[in-house]
Amino acid sequence: MSAEGRRLYWLIQWRRNDGLGALFLVLAAFVVLYAVLFPGIFAVGALAKFVQGWFPTAMVAAAQTIVMLTGGIDLSVGPMVSLGSVVAASTMQGPLGIFGGVLAVLALGACVGAITGSFVAIGRYPAIIVTLALSFVLRGVALLILPRPGGFVPPSLSEFLAGSHPTAAFLLVLFVILWKLYQATPLGIGLIAVGDNAEGAYRSGVNVTAVRLTAYILSGVLVSLTGLYVAAQTGSGDPVIGEPMTLAAIAAAVLGGVGFLGGQGTMRGALAGSLLMSVLINVMFFMGLPLVAQYVVQGLIIVCTVSLPLLRSTWQRAS
Amino acid sequence: MATGVVNTVFRLRSFLAAYARSLVAYGVVAALWIAASLLIAGFGAYAHLRYIVELAAVIGLVAVGQTVAVIAGGIDLSVSAVITVTAIILPLLSFDVDVSGLGAIALALAVAAGIGAVNGFAIGFLGLPPLIMTLAMATILQGLLVLIAGGSAISVSNATLDWLGSAHVLTVSAGIILWLAVAGACLFWLHGTRSGALVFAIGANPIVSRLSGVPIPRITLAIYVLSAICAGLAGLLLLSMNGQGYVGIGDPYLLSSIAAVVLGGTSILGGRGSYLGTIAGAVLLVTMTALITVVNASEGWRSVILGCLILGMLPLSGRDQSR
Repeated sequence: MSAEGRRLYWLIQWRRNDGLGALFLVLAAFVVLYAVLFPGIFAVGALAKFVQGWFPTAMVAAAQTIVMLTGGIDLSVGPMVSLGSVVAASTMQGPLGIFGGVLAVLALGACVGAITGSFVAIGRYPAIIVTLALSFVLRGVALLILPRPGGFVPPSLSEFLAGSHPTAAFLLVLFVILWKLYQATPLGIGLIAVGDNAEGAYRSGVNVTAVRLTAYILSGVLVSLTGLYVAAQTGSGDPVIGEPMTLAAIAAAVLGGVGFLGGQGTMRGALAGSLLMSVLINVMFFMGLPLVAQYVVQGLIIVCTVSLPLLRSTWQRAS
Repeated sequence: MATGVVNTVFRLRSFLAAYARSLVAYGVVAALWIAASLLIAGFGAYAHLRYIVELAAVIGLVAVGQTVAVIAGGIDLSVSAVITVTAIILPLLSFDVDVSGLGAIALALAVAAGIGAVNGFAIGFLGLPPLIMTLAMATILQGLLVLIAGGSAISVSNATLDWLGSAHVLTVSAGIILWLAVAGACLFWLHGTRSGALVFAIGANPIVSRLSGVPIPRITLAIYVLSAICAGLAGLLLLSMNGQGYVGIGDPYLLSSIAAVVLGGTSILGGRGSYLGTIAGAVLLVTMTALITVVNASEGWRSVILGCLILGMLPLSGRDQSR
């Protein structure tokens, strides 16, 4: 890359922060508040624990963002996390051990993503109803495999992923690097193009079907791996553990400025959105609020963040 | 005279063409009922079929508002929360003066309408996406309910609800009659009035509707208020059949109301469909559940089959034409 090209790249990257300023400010304020309430946070161990709490939300938010950028939506995120955890916990006793379990979870995510993607990208059925129906199927399959929480996750894996090591933080960094690399491929660039204007993208030579299909497969793999991580965290598989994550994923993405109609939003925004929610829950916990109050706050935050820009544009038109 | 006949035939044909998708579900229900009656002893008994329709009445009532919201190009994901709200606050709203219990019912429905008005205002006047607004509303209500009611079930004694849950008029349950009345009113509104036609117009093409002077914000507000009131009615019917309200009582009805709409041939993309099909969709859902229960399938199988059923009926609900 020439010097001029590099300058242009960073300029564009900087421009993509537009509209995220408020989110970053609020996030910084809450992080400071959290640090004041809980001064021990900056020790390596406490930080590792904090990132472990944030990691599942961050991953499902990232998966939801990939799909939403193409103009779709995935309402089966929660049941998919549950199914991932169930599959992980019931395959790791097998002859292949941890390796077999990871392989099974990867295959599961890719298969379900491919099914969703085929319906949406090739069949052109509305993503909302396809993923809603699939959420039934996935929940049912999870209940059939493990009717109640159980299964087995090797303690060594739990210790590695969710113990005292900052593994989750490294995984997060790894994900961001992989995401940047993906954005440099034709399929990655196509994500936003297809979501913004599918017809225009098609006329410019973007393979619209392939972009959509891979988006759903990638998102499926991310979500099922989140299930594996949750299983490692809790030490067992649970057929309903993911239920609240559907909303959390959408909330984090919307909070991060990812638009509903596709083509709008950034991964850094979605990750910041999920971090804000995670910090918020921690702060509320420290202030002694009941855990269910977080639902109320989560709902209010979503409504406010979505309606503020709408209100602002209405005022601008009026004046 | 001849033109009159031609006109009638033409109108009948255009009606059939427009609602063919809605009528498919009736065919499936009829086939299932006949086959099941022949194969399973007692399935075809009047009391059993009436029981199926009674259960379908709850889904059907929720699906009234859901159908209208979907036809207008939206969706209401807060119906299950509204059902739970009405089922839980009704016992709290009972007064000694209010002997018939009608006052409490009116208050509970007013609360539901208020929730719908908040949804409708945010969607119609502020322009929030229906999916996000109703999902957020559902989350907020879910949190509030647990804070207010906790985990315990609340029993109710309400004269009108007791009547609704147990009375029969000419052997037809009062709940079914309530459903039929609401269904008739909804069908008349959608297909027989000006504002009903505008619901279809908004769903078919919001931009053209706005430019043609359709008061979209006002109608959207009305749609979500209607949806919340219907969900409230369903919550009351459910409470009358159950006798107790508890957090989570409405949860199964969100997905089944959407499933009933889709099975009934209404396009999830808006602008096309009818409540006529949703009625059959609701009965079809309950029939399927009853059949699965007969073969002793677990909750897991029920969920899988329901999901596959919706996926299988997708071609009826329409493809994304825009790309």
